[in-house]
Amino acid sequence: MVSRDKPPLVQRFTNVHLENWRNFRSVDVGLTRRVFLAGANASGKSNFLDVFRFLQGLVSVGGGFQAAIRKRGGISRLGCLVAKKNPEILIHVKTANKTSKGQWEYELQFTQNNRRKMPIIWSERVIRNGEQILNRPLDSDIADPERMTQTYLEQVNVNREYRALADFFRSIRYLHIIPEIVREPDRSGGRRNDPYGGDFLDQVAKTPPAIRKQHLTKIREALSVAIPQLKALEFWRDARGVPHLRGNYKHWKPIGVWQTEEQFSNGTLRLIGLLWAILDGNGPLILEEPELSLHSDVARHLPQMFAKVQQRTGRQFLISTHSNELLQDEGIGLNELLLLEPTPRGTTIRQAGDFAGIQAMIKGGTSLAEAALPRTRPPNAQQLALFGE
Amino acid sequence: MNRSHKTIVYGAVEGLVDEAVFRVLVHLAGGAHGPVFGRHGKEYLRKNLAGYNLAAQTAPWVVLVDLDHDSDCPPPFRNSWLPNPSSSMCFRIVVREVEAWLLADRERIANYLGIPRRLVPSEPELVHDPKKLMIRLAMHSRHRRIRYEMVPHPGSGREVGPAYNSRLIEYVENKNRGWRPEIAARHSESLARCMHRLNNLLKQNIDNRTVIRSPEVAYY
Repeated sequence: MVSRDKPPLVQRFTNVHLENWRNFRSVDVGLTRRVFLAGANASGKSNFLDVFRFLQGLVSVGGGFQAAIRKRGGISRLGCLVAKKNPEILIHVKTANKTSKGQWEYELQFTQNNRRKMPIIWSERVIRNGEQILNRPLDSDIADPERMTQTYLEQVNVNREYRALADFFRSIRYLHIIPEIVREPDRSGGRRNDPYGGDFLDQVAKTPPAIRKQHLTKIREALSVAIPQLKALEFWRDARGVPHLRGNYKHWKPIGVWQTEEQFSNGTLRLIGLLWAILDGNGPLILEEPELSLHSDVARHLPQMFAKVQQRTGRQFLISTHSNELLQDEGIGLNELLLLEPTPRGTTIRQAGDFAGIQAMIKGGTSLAEAALPRTRPPNAQQLALFGE
Repeated sequence: MNRSHKTIVYGAVEGLVDEAVFRVLVHLAGGAHGPVFGRHGKEYLRKNLAGYNLAAQTAPWVVLVDLDHDSDCPPPFRNSWLPNPSSSMCFRIVVREVEAWLLADRERIANYLGIPRRLVPSEPELVHDPKKLMIRLAMHSRHRRIRYEMVPHPGSGREVGPAYNSRLIEYVENKNRGWRPEIAARHSESLARCMHRLNNLLKQNIDNRTVIRSPEVAYY
């Protein structure tokens, strides 16, 4: 029962180095298989996670370098606020799997070309197991500067040698389900792969029926912990063919009451979305504040659930959180929690284990939440109450 | 007996594993567990103990506290924590930590962890630090999964692995392969006493008092 599975060789990020990316002047941080990000509001948690979405955007269908920049409002919006107007932005990531042969590095440096008024790549490098296999600009790039408006990684006709890396970036998933958008998909403007859940039901609909049923059964079982009165969960199309999820709630009526996602509570919808995302795919999964709308008792068990999923699948989780309950968990390593600290020179990121004070408190029996979260508290949070006067 | 006619027992415990143990013990004694309070460590329990004790004047309560190394034996510890327990308060001290109770079913814990039974001590109440022992035993597991989930990872700076609690909770709750309190009680006096007191508490409540009906869906 217990020992059956060897984890599959799943790729994950091990390090990320950023320069002039959004809030970050310069950060270089190691990433474990499960990463929690904590910091004050607007300290840059989402901006940090956006790097991974950016990499995914480079190689996704209908994506590419120019599109990924455009989507973010251009270089001037993307560049670090404390740097000069159109700074050179650097992204350097390292990835690995368990074997010695699965190590990749990808580096991309780019800026705004003022004359041509478009983003342009300065350099692009791919390193496989320590050996550099791409180092742009090549001679051909210098001869034809137009080439520097696209990455090699996004081009199928040249990326053969490092397609495994492109596939890995493509496997990144981001989720921040907003229940209102799931209920009223019109609000998301019909986007595909909408991280806010606008196409969530479409995605469920597109999943092959057997797998869909399997997923929903698993989700229903897991949900029974949080919502014991939910007795069934299934996929359903209404008379117009519009896909829905519906659940049967056992209240006082013996046969129960069917409700569709339009009547599900916010917490139910978020949990369903979260569990679906966990079952779907095995690339890195980015979760923004998964504790939202959940009872503190449910949120408290999330970290161990993630740990068990990754024991089984090897999948990497990158999670932003403000939750005291979530960070109570005794199994979260000091190297798994990254603290974001805004400073006048941009936000810095450090592992909780880098703080001697946190280490000492943990040794003395303090919970990680109590040892770490006060450090991310905005200094004058109490003044918000004055707004009420 | 119909579920809805069982006596509801309220609980207060230090952590999530203790909570699972509490539920199993109440169930075994023929009760239904009510809400479980505390679960934020020992000091938190102590701070709220007076309140729990007052509530235990009108409904049965079980409070489980680890002895740890606060005292050599339970009686002085009990006196310092709760000199005047209410009539329906079952204040029980775990010697020395809940892990000792779980180790007391040697056969099952050895099976569950995937280790030889001879590694599990026969007198778990004498173990100085049962949690540390549990992790040391998990290190010897032949299951990769147990090692990954229960043993702290290098660089984590923590005492336990990333899913230590949920693994133990699963062990406690697994009826077929998991913990058997009746067997464990033979090797742990504090557990035997706890089960005995809990039985009496429920008997007393059924004999002398109104039976509190549990709402249909409330607690599992």
